[in-house]
Amino acid sequence: MQTPRSLRAVALAVALSAAAAVPGHAKTPNDQLVIGVSMNNLLSLDPAAATGNDVVEIACNVYDYLVEVDPLDTTKLLPGLAQSWKIAPDGRSISFTLRSGVKFHSGHLLTAEDAAWSFRRVLKLNLAMASPWKSYGFTAQNVEQAIRATDATTLVIDLPQATDPKMVLYTLGTSVSAVVLDRKKVMENEKSGDMGAAWLTTHAAGSGPFVLDEWRAKEVLMMSRFDGYWRAPPKLRRVVMRHMTESQSLRLMLGRGDIDVATGMSVPDIEAMKSAPDTEVHSVKRGTLYYVAVSAKDPKFADKRVRQAILRHLIDFDGINTSVMPYYGVYHQRPVPLGLAATLPEPGYKLDVAAAKKLLADAGMAAGFKTTIRVVAESPFTNIATNLQSTLAKAGIEASILPGTGNQVYGAMRDRNFEIIVGRGGGGAEPHPHSSLRALVYNPDNSDAAKLSNFQGWRTSYFDPKLNQLIESGLLQTDEKKQTQAYADVQRAFDADVPAIQPISQMVDTVVLRKDVRNYVGHPSATTRLREVFKQR
Amino acid sequence: MSATSISAPLPRRPGLRARQIRLLGQRLFSVLLTLLGLLLLTFMIGRVMPLDPVLSIVGPDADRSTYEQVYRQLGLDRPLVVQFGYYLRDLLHGDFGNALLTGHPVTEDLARVLPATIELATLAIIVGTLLGVPLGVFAATQRGRIGDHAVRLVSLLGHSTPIFWFGMMGLLVFYAWLGWAGGAGRVDLAYDGLVKPMTGFLLLDSALAGEWEVLGSALKHVTLPACILGLHSMAYISRMTRSFMLSQLSQEYILTARVKGLPERTVIWRHAFRNILVQLLTIVALAYGGLLEGAVLIETVFGWPGFGQYLTSSLLLGDMNAVMGSVLVVGVVFVALNLLSDALYQVFDPRTRQ
Repeated sequence: MQTPRSLRAVALAVALSAAAAVPGHAKTPNDQLVIGVSMNNLLSLDPAAATGNDVVEIACNVYDYLVEVDPLDTTKLLPGLAQSWKIAPDGRSISFTLRSGVKFHSGHLLTAEDAAWSFRRVLKLNLAMASPWKSYGFTAQNVEQAIRATDATTLVIDLPQATDPKMVLYTLGTSVSAVVLDRKKVMENEKSGDMGAAWLTTHAAGSGPFVLDEWRAKEVLMMSRFDGYWRAPPKLRRVVMRHMTESQSLRLMLGRGDIDVATGMSVPDIEAMKSAPDTEVHSVKRGTLYYVAVSAKDPKFADKRVRQAILRHLIDFDGINTSVMPYYGVYHQRPVPLGLAATLPEPGYKLDVAAAKKLLADAGMAAGFKTTIRVVAESPFTNIATNLQSTLAKAGIEASILPGTGNQVYGAMRDRNFEIIVGRGGGGAEPHPHSSLRALVYNPDNSDAAKLSNFQGWRTSYFDPKLNQLIESGLLQTDEKKQTQAYADVQRAFDADVPAIQPISQMVDTVVLRKDVRNYVGHPSATTRLREVFKQR
Repeated sequence: MSATSISAPLPRRPGLRARQIRLLGQRLFSVLLTLLGLLLLTFMIGRVMPLDPVLSIVGPDADRSTYEQVYRQLGLDRPLVVQFGYYLRDLLHGDFGNALLTGHPVTEDLARVLPATIELATLAIIVGTLLGVPLGVFAATQRGRIGDHAVRLVSLLGHSTPIFWFGMMGLLVFYAWLGWAGGAGRVDLAYDGLVKPMTGFLLLDSALAGEWEVLGSALKHVTLPACILGLHSMAYISRMTRSFMLSQLSQEYILTARVKGLPERTVIWRHAFRNILVQLLTIVALAYGGLLEGAVLIETVFGWPGFGQYLTSSLLLGDMNAVMGSVLVVGVVFVALNLLSDALYQVFDPRTRQ
């Protein structure tokens, strides 16, 4: 029996109003961290195939990266397995010097050949996580030559096409596909030439601070301390992630001290825990953006004036960000995430029904029209969609909402089969303007046959060669100041040309922790490392 | 004629065994046909559902070549009939395929999640039956009086209140406030993995292993969700029991029994109740089947890694191997419960043996 979420929320909000007053008992052991988390999207632990942020939070604790992105200053790269790295003067090659003496959990010695093999594997398998590498020009054919170990501690990556090597370094520091695998251990478990893909779906072969003990899908994942970790053994003996989807259950368990960290809680529950004595709320901005997009393939939205009316004047940016987005996102309207040097101040688009009506009248649509809004049936997407539906109605646009699962909604978008969509995406893992621009705006070939469904620019059928060219030249600009200027130009062009996608908010990830958990630093790229976390009681 | 008066053993007739074997064959054929139809229907629904299993695997941002590669790997480029044929062929070899959700063979997953739900549902149906039957009988004997109204009210509340609400309130009171019940999961994390699964039934496995602390923890975790599910079943069972009893209590043989001066307890339990046992069995069996497949909300609230959650998640992902395997299990469970209830009919109602 399914009951409307709203009804459930109201009933439970009333019933649980006293839950914040539940006395704490601090039941989890001192040396264990218990995290309540939804594992609904965790389908594989294979770094070549795993999608979504959930797996990144596991991978960065089980595996090591060559480099790490500083969680407190994402433009700063920190050494990981690589002690140092050097970019060739022409920007077409990066050479890494790896630490010696690092051991995998199996006891095997980690060498540069393991790193080269791990990256080649991603390209050869061509699964979900091959995408960023393919965008740099790597292929299954050229990777053998392009990524190579010249000795036990030296890894050389030759870039097949001109790009900004900083962007590649950020991918190495943030993408789950950039972890280093224990080649021997994986190949011991190879079946039918799958390079260990089936085995790695549920196992791990890393050198990180924690060893994966067990993962029972949608039940529990357990990791224990790796005493031979090259930095120093982590302070926690065990980390347990328990699959929990009900926000209210998370709240009760957090209140009782049966879990230490809760993720994915609903806004009313986060609000309640904020004022509870034993818990605190941590929010971290992610590079991902919430957006409203229209299909420029649709004759109505092919007209710039109609796009401008809807995307710039009929979205209640202030209202949505004030009433719907707390703990989900923060006000942001640029296609480049907040916090980067290149990001321009907000353009200040506001709900202006009169201006929208005028633009619609100029486009010959004064009487409005009927349309549909596709939306993932969960918060905050549905709230944004209903808000948009009401503001569109003010200009005579009658929009019906088509809710669905993420699979259905983004599937339709990938098939270019939508009119308006409320969604979330846009890369943003790498703290570089190109990460978002490539995902959201760039569209090198607008033909249906191109099927560039990984680009949201293609999905929205918006094609602007000038904008493409600006994005490309920004990436290739080697002078930092000039590059910042180039990305400012891209944002101005985005402002003037009104592409078919409009960011409304930048994603925020909120976790609630018990106050005795120390050194928990949420990472903007989801690589939240637990090696320094401990409990102070 | 009173049903109690026809309980004399019937003489065995010649050719009865041959007839029984033929009937058994017919029944078996009909069961297999039902299961095949169920699979075909599920397969077709799965293929026309607007859910893309490839997208579930590769994520929304995968490029074309990756998408097409995984599409082919899943065999989705083959004609539907061929896909179904391959599925049946593998099924006959005991291979349900691998689940996208877990990466494990579906049989392994089912062996893990089914015992968790069976454990919960069995305790729940015991609670529901032990409470529901006496309450229903009591209500029938008190027809129109305050006792009857009270039972009907409890039954109405139990059946119409959303089960997740009971779950949350139960957690709030018995877990958060009183600390009597365990929280989410089948056992406290400290005991997780201590008992090696033999049957998959944690209560049984921990008892067999002599891990009494684990057993205690598992009991603490299962009691609350089982009681809440049981309360829900109790509402249904008591309502049906009342209705069956009322229909029996208005029969002439009950009047005769009372006129004969039999004690009221004998009239109720030995005469009227015995005659509703057959119907009651069907109701309890169906309620049990419903609990096995429909405990998803309570499993969600209590973080219970059971069959309901598995089936629902698989469905939302378009994970057809897991869905087909789960549907087959549900089909088999219902067929088995029907067969069991038919067999018990023969035990309790001699007329069906003719």
